[in-house]
Amino acid sequence: MGKNRKLRLFVYGICVLSLAWLWRCRAGKTWHKATFLYFDTVCEVNLFCSPPDFASARTEINRIFSEIEKEFSPGAAPTFSLHTRTLFQKAWAVWENSQGCFDITVAPLADLWGFRAHKPEVPPLESIQEVMSQIGMEKIKLPPPATQEEDFRIPDKMGLDWGGIAKGYGIDLTAHALINKGFQRGFINAGGDLYCWGSNPDHKAWQIGIKHPRQEGFLGVLSLSDTGVATTGDYQRYFVENGIRYHHIFDPKTGFPARGKQSITVIGPETCLCDALATALFVSKTPEEILKLYPSYGAILVNEEGEIYFLGKSFPFRLID
Amino acid sequence: MNRRGFFKTILATPTLLTPFLLAAKRSFNDSELFLICEDSPRFISYLLKELNGKHILPSGKNFTFLTHHPQAEKIAGILAHQGWKYTPDPSQADLALSFSRLQQPARPSFAFVKNGQVWDLRSQKLLALWRNINKNQPSSSCMTTAGLRHRSSSPQQAGKYAVIFADGHPVDKIPLNETQSKRYKTLKGTVCVRVEKNKAWISESSCRHHICRYTPPVFLAGERIICAPNHFLLEIQGNLSVDTIIG
Repeated sequence: MGKNRKLRLFVYGICVLSLAWLWRCRAGKTWHKATFLYFDTVCEVNLFCSPPDFASARTEINRIFSEIEKEFSPGAAPTFSLHTRTLFQKAWAVWENSQGCFDITVAPLADLWGFRAHKPEVPPLESIQEVMSQIGMEKIKLPPPATQEEDFRIPDKMGLDWGGIAKGYGIDLTAHALINKGFQRGFINAGGDLYCWGSNPDHKAWQIGIKHPRQEGFLGVLSLSDTGVATTGDYQRYFVENGIRYHHIFDPKTGFPARGKQSITVIGPETCLCDALATALFVSKTPEEILKLYPSYGAILVNEEGEIYFLGKSFPFRLID
Repeated sequence: MNRRGFFKTILATPTLLTPFLLAAKRSFNDSELFLICEDSPRFISYLLKELNGKHILPSGKNFTFLTHHPQAEKIAGILAHQGWKYTPDPSQADLALSFSRLQQPARPSFAFVKNGQVWDLRSQKLLALWRNINKNQPSSSCMTTAGLRHRSSSPQQAGKYAVIFADGHPVDKIPLNETQSKRYKTLKGTVCVRVEKNKAWISESSCRHHICRYTPPVFLAGERIICAPNHFLLEIQGNLSVDTIIG
């Protein structure tokens, strides 16, 4: 009997200690928001954690974002790091699957049109034709896996524009580093690219508002968790000349801004792929064909007339009138 | 249907519940009606009529077919009789019908799923109908899905304050109903904010390219104007019903 009582007391003790430990883990956790300036935009981070954990998260976010920004910012000399090789392979795959609609070699076009110098203008046709000879991933001789330094050669005059994929890659790296460190709920939003995981402060899926490409306010609201999103459109960086809107998403086959769409939002497991696919689908005349190769991804497309289409996998979305 | 009856219904269709939930979670629609039945035109019209009576259906009256449906003509005829209009454009449709074939025939059933959860219809009529089709109709591999797309305007709420962040820190909070101009100094430069008629915008900035100045006035909760070179952020705060904004 006495032995049973001791055993019972021991079990009760364990339960009480476990509860106290659980309580301690939960206590002090609250929502923390911070903004960072990377990738030429404001990155917003919202995490549910304790203040000391948030301090360590900030350090980790700064470390990863600054590393990615340094390696992939416009004009940065190509390195042969693991990041570069990984991202190049991803870019190559999307380039192949999109029949060249996504192409990281469009950097000379962005320069020619003045988007990088923030002095955009329509260049002479001859200059576009001249620059077109420097565009095309097929000109980078050896396809991945590029494991050796000498394998990764970029011909002279060609330049790489990582803008359509690096931000998403940085978000994925950071989000998964935080998840692995035990951050169970949060999101990272860098301009048009986002990854969210766990539940929002109301214990529901994250409510992500998508900006309307032409009007003030939202196009609609996505309800997501453990998912990446990327939006691109002709309204983000553009100028109007003689009544024609010229924007920063170039068709690598023509050298001119891609036509036919106002915006595209891609939703799927990897923000990096969402980022690249958003550009590919924006440029492509047959975006639904590209998405067939990515069954875990879906897209919300707004065409030139402002009509909304849903492509690929469906995700919860509320349209706004 | 009372709660007990509802759970009994759910327990009676355990094999169907999971695909229903998964399908609803994948969907763009707010709510979806799933019907497994050979005679789908007859029952889909009845179910829609019943849901309409409960004000569950969207206010619009346009329907479309997202996929080929073997009984599309019959369904279209019945819906037209109920006042629905066919539209080929899915973005304009309030009701989007699709057809899929199950891998194996299942007992006829229906379920209504809203926001990823099976919804309690609480109707004796629907419970009776479910019992009727489940017992009397032959097993079927035909699944008709009716997605009800609701257009909502609730998340677009006007903000109350323009909150100013300089160098990553909040430095000011301006009520949007007070007309004023304010100048802020950051470590990188100066930015002037103008608030008028419940809207805020950047009227002057020491940055090089003035992209922030060309950004249209903001007024909805969550909207922002960013001046990256000056490490300056203007954010509209208020009763925001979204967690964050992209685009």
